[in-house]
Amino acid sequence: MPDLTNLTCRSTNQRFLNFAIAVLLTVAGSVLSFSAGAQTEGCQSAAGYPVSVHCGGAPSATFDDRGRLWVTFVQDQQVFVSYSDDTGKTFSRPVAVNPVPEDAEYNGENRPKILVSQDSVIYVSWTLKTSPRFTGEIRFSRSTDGGKSFSEPRTVNDDGLFTGHRFESLFQTESGLLYLVWIDKRDLEASAQKGEDYTGAAVYYAVSRDQGRSFSQNYRVANHSCECCRIAVAPGEADNVAIFWRHVFGADTRDHAIAMLTPGGQVLDMNRASYDDWQINACPHHGPTMIPADESGNYHLGWFTNGNAHQGIYYGRYSFTAGRTMNVRRIDGNPGAGHPFLQTFNGTLYLVWKGFDGQQSLIRLMTSSDDGKTWSEAETLATTSQGSDYPLIVSNSNGLFLSWLTDEHGYIVRRISPGSE
Amino acid sequence: MTFLNYRMARFKNGRLIPLRARTRHILLLLLLASVAFLAVSPSRADNFREFTADSFAQIKAQYQGQEFLLGLWSVDCPPCLAELMFMGELIQLNPDLPYVLISTDPIEERQSAVEFLEDFGLSGMESWMFADSFVERLRFSIDPGWYGELPRSYYFDDRHNRQSHSGIVTRELLESWFQRELTFE
Repeated sequence: MPDLTNLTCRSTNQRFLNFAIAVLLTVAGSVLSFSAGAQTEGCQSAAGYPVSVHCGGAPSATFDDRGRLWVTFVQDQQVFVSYSDDTGKTFSRPVAVNPVPEDAEYNGENRPKILVSQDSVIYVSWTLKTSPRFTGEIRFSRSTDGGKSFSEPRTVNDDGLFTGHRFESLFQTESGLLYLVWIDKRDLEASAQKGEDYTGAAVYYAVSRDQGRSFSQNYRVANHSCECCRIAVAPGEADNVAIFWRHVFGADTRDHAIAMLTPGGQVLDMNRASYDDWQINACPHHGPTMIPADESGNYHLGWFTNGNAHQGIYYGRYSFTAGRTMNVRRIDGNPGAGHPFLQTFNGTLYLVWKGFDGQQSLIRLMTSSDDGKTWSEAETLATTSQGSDYPLIVSNSNGLFLSWLTDEHGYIVRRISPGSE
Repeated sequence: MTFLNYRMARFKNGRLIPLRARTRHILLLLLLASVAFLAVSPSRADNFREFTADSFAQIKAQYQGQEFLLGLWSVDCPPCLAELMFMGELIQLNPDLPYVLISTDPIEERQSAVEFLEDFGLSGMESWMFADSFVERLRFSIDPGWYGELPRSYYFDDRHNRQSHSGIVTRELLESWFQRELTFE
């Protein structure tokens, strides 16, 4: 006859062991999330589900055609996607994009990206940090079932090298072509093999013509880009895209360059777009922003510099026809001002950026209703006296919204163009 | 999940676990907790101190009446690697050079930071790491005119007049700051 006492005891032990392991995992989890600086009041006030847009890192957001707000963020080495049908008041339970945790990079300059196609395919990209220093891979995944599940993440850089492929930007043309543009160190690696010096990194891109099922080979845009600034991407003529990035001119002048890319790998009209004379052999960690001004090759640009010629946040209007940036003006030269983001709505140009007044971080806004010639006084949209992300703008057919993650208030989506929800 | 299952099973079962067993379980839990704590703690010794909003004042007080060099760096900054290599060699040849390091990485990443410093023989230097996610305030406490670019260096003379530089330091720069010849290979 079996010993029932022992059986009970064993099963209790088993249960307790399960409990103990669960508690340990929870404890370890909270230690780790604390380490990531994620346990905050804003985060804790979120519904009690530990993985949350309020608790994760470096979110990006986009509206789909039906007005649903899609957000991607990183938490505990997973890229998550969550959506909101009430413009950011409540969010769906996040779905993990990568089933196997991997070291997805997330910070102000380098965050996961999300786009939704007209026929509801969801695209997500991010940078996977790999083990040798400053190395990474450009990762991509998509969902064809409305965000319930995601394809196995794939690496888009095609060189098979353990070198830097980071700071990717994801862009979709009106006709549905997908561009991934990133900072790449394969040419630096090749030079190092030959014992030659190589300044900075390079910009590369790849294009998908089949909704992210496959990508083209990688195309080089330019040698000698800066190593650690986000790249701005905007629509060009037909299926082309314009890109605007921090480049190394000469030995160590880190100003900006602009170019037009074609889906077939051609780089057109590459040119210098800012003359700030920032001579610095360092990582600025301040990437630019760009949106089209019209359909004839003019672009609104925003950037940060601390050069000999210019210091602060600047606006300029670049003409591909004239090949130069005009109407350059300083937006904010105060200490602590950085990370501009441009968007346009109903003929008005909106520029938000982050400032610091010695006590608080401020999200500042200026608008221009005459195509960047004159600007409003700066106003403060939001403040925090704790840590916070860079400000981003998301847009739908009803208006523009600030997208901002803060330790204090969690993830904020706030209307900035006139109108109601 | 397992925790919830356990609680439900326990209520269904309808009885308490005997005290002795519970004591054993608590001990087991404590043991496992300490193992887990060790597992998530840094396995390497380091001398990083937590850099908060008043740390810079502490550093200056500590060097009152003395000159010092302040080096700001991050594990996520390729030129910082070149600077640390340069400074590691310089410190080896000039061990008395007053040099204070501040990593702008969150202090939770101390393990990867100490690996960098060890590689360049700098793990014995006075070292701080950012210990507050409100990095704007930390940066401001050092210098409102520093925008986060790295590496960033400051020289303070014995009256704490300050000179600054963004980008990798050079022999010429350091010798002009310290106003003396330093030993280089």
